[in-house]
Amino acid sequence: MHKKRSIIEKIILITLSLLAIAFFLFPIYWLLVTSLKFGRDAFAIPPTWLFFDATLKNFSDVLAQSKTFMFIKNSIIITSGTTFLSLLLGVPAGYAIARSKFPLVKNSAYFFLLLLMLPPVAMLIPFYLIMRDLGLIGTYTSLILLNTVFDSAFVVWMMRSYFADVPQEMEEAALVDGASHFSAFIKVALPLSVPGIIASALYTIIYSWNDFLFALMLTSPKTKTIPLGILASFSSVEISWGKMAVMSIFAIIPAVIISLFLNRYFVQGLTAGATKG
Amino acid sequence: MLCNVRMSAQTGIRTHETTGATLVQSLTQTIIKKLKSDPYFWLLFPLLLYVVLIAIYPLFFSFRISLFDYRLTDPNQIQTFVGLKNYIRAFKDPIVLISLTNTLIFVAGTVSIELLLGLGLALLFSPETKLAQFVRSFLLIPMALPPLVVGLIWKSLYNADFGVIPFYLKQLGMDVGRGPLGELSLAMPAVILIDIWQWTPLLMVIFLAGLKSLPQEPYEAAYVDGSSRWQSFIYLTLPLMKPTFLIAFLLRTVQSFKVFDTIYATTSGGPGNATTVLNFHIYTVGLTFFDMGYASALANILLIVVTVLSIIYIMVMTRRQL
Repeated sequence: MHKKRSIIEKIILITLSLLAIAFFLFPIYWLLVTSLKFGRDAFAIPPTWLFFDATLKNFSDVLAQSKTFMFIKNSIIITSGTTFLSLLLGVPAGYAIARSKFPLVKNSAYFFLLLLMLPPVAMLIPFYLIMRDLGLIGTYTSLILLNTVFDSAFVVWMMRSYFADVPQEMEEAALVDGASHFSAFIKVALPLSVPGIIASALYTIIYSWNDFLFALMLTSPKTKTIPLGILASFSSVEISWGKMAVMSIFAIIPAVIISLFLNRYFVQGLTAGATKG
Repeated sequence: MLCNVRMSAQTGIRTHETTGATLVQSLTQTIIKKLKSDPYFWLLFPLLLYVVLIAIYPLFFSFRISLFDYRLTDPNQIQTFVGLKNYIRAFKDPIVLISLTNTLIFVAGTVSIELLLGLGLALLFSPETKLAQFVRSFLLIPMALPPLVVGLIWKSLYNADFGVIPFYLKQLGMDVGRGPLGELSLAMPAVILIDIWQWTPLLMVIFLAGLKSLPQEPYEAAYVDGSSRWQSFIYLTLPLMKPTFLIAFLLRTVQSFKVFDTIYATTSGGPGNATTVLNFHIYTVGLTFFDMGYASALANILLIVVTVLSIIYIMVMTRRQL
């Protein structure tokens, strides 16, 4: 449809693309390289980008510590707990908001959006005090409960716009046939909305896996998650950037998998909040 | 009986109040009745109950605490009622003013640059070629990473002794002193750059969705009329993208106000207070000094600011839908 681009235009576009790729990927590349370097090479001046003595020593060192598996286990427990609870509460609520004719139910969507935007610190301080009084600091429960507030609010927002696009005729047919609203939801609407549920789940996985502030305040040494494990490689006698890099790689695995292989769902989740009213 | 008579004698004055109260009562009753009769309400109810217990109750609790002098470091755990003193203290606290300024600089710096770069990236990678799709999926990685890890990676890149960035800056003849994060004048721009790195791709994704939903007809008409690519960008794309731009602007503003992990990982608010943002100051007061009353007051002030911004965002978004 458009006029052909000139050679100079093409060169400029390619250069800009390469610059953009270089800028956004070099820190991740640097992390990978650091995890494969011996301690002395990590600090080498001038920095070595390609040719250095590669080693898996950092990986074997980190994996030799039993704490590493504890951090990973804690992160997995908290992430799966949060994701499960957020979907359990958020998906039906999103469906209710999408289908209800009652304005109070319909407009509660904006209440959840507002909730999503609250500054976490403002929520954390009273929540910390309440959990302290209940003796729940240092438990998985406290962290899952607080993460779920923000994640379920997102699930509602996401699923509401997803269910709105799912045709209602089949549910109506089921209702005419005598099904209850609940079984119409479970048997008809849910199977049609699997992609939306996957997108919501990916989002909650990323956010609860990445959470640092809540974990910082609400965990005990036994329930620390990976981000806190990364910081632990600083507080010891020597700062080991290599070990830090290895722990960081564990921390970024879900992000990389989701970005590269499940990006269709991920993009759907990212744009749900911004482009659909 | 006598009691009733006396009551009715008094009602002359109270009628207004009582009818008001019964009105509210009957209104709530009809609302509850209607809600109960709505079959969908029961699917919403569990989450509503959860949010009231886990989120709304703590926020009320936070308001109560903010009226007290309550320090967790106090061995007797005494809570003294001080009224609005904590709020008055907030307005006199010099660090509050500094951190508010820093927050505004951070938000303005990150959001404006990210919007421009995000639009540029979206235009650059909008063609539906295999290569553009491939690159786009790689550009999703930064925003999915834990902000703490991003902060730590950049901290090592910025390190004055062995960091990659100071090394190349020195090669270019620039003096970096104690490294970008250690210098008063450089720390804020350095932290802003980290945020730009992480969140510009999100704006690219939003703008790509916006570009995709643009109508084709105006472009065809413009092409027939002989307008250049540049002209159709200025006179068609930019005006048509205005709503997406506004939404993206508000979304990132609200998010940018929440920055914490990046600051914690890189500068801890320093050097001096050069990168202390409001969030970080509240964290320091509440969760390292355990001055809970004052921290709650500060948190409530931030809460009000962010809520007002969020309501504007929601109003803009719903108006766009109409």
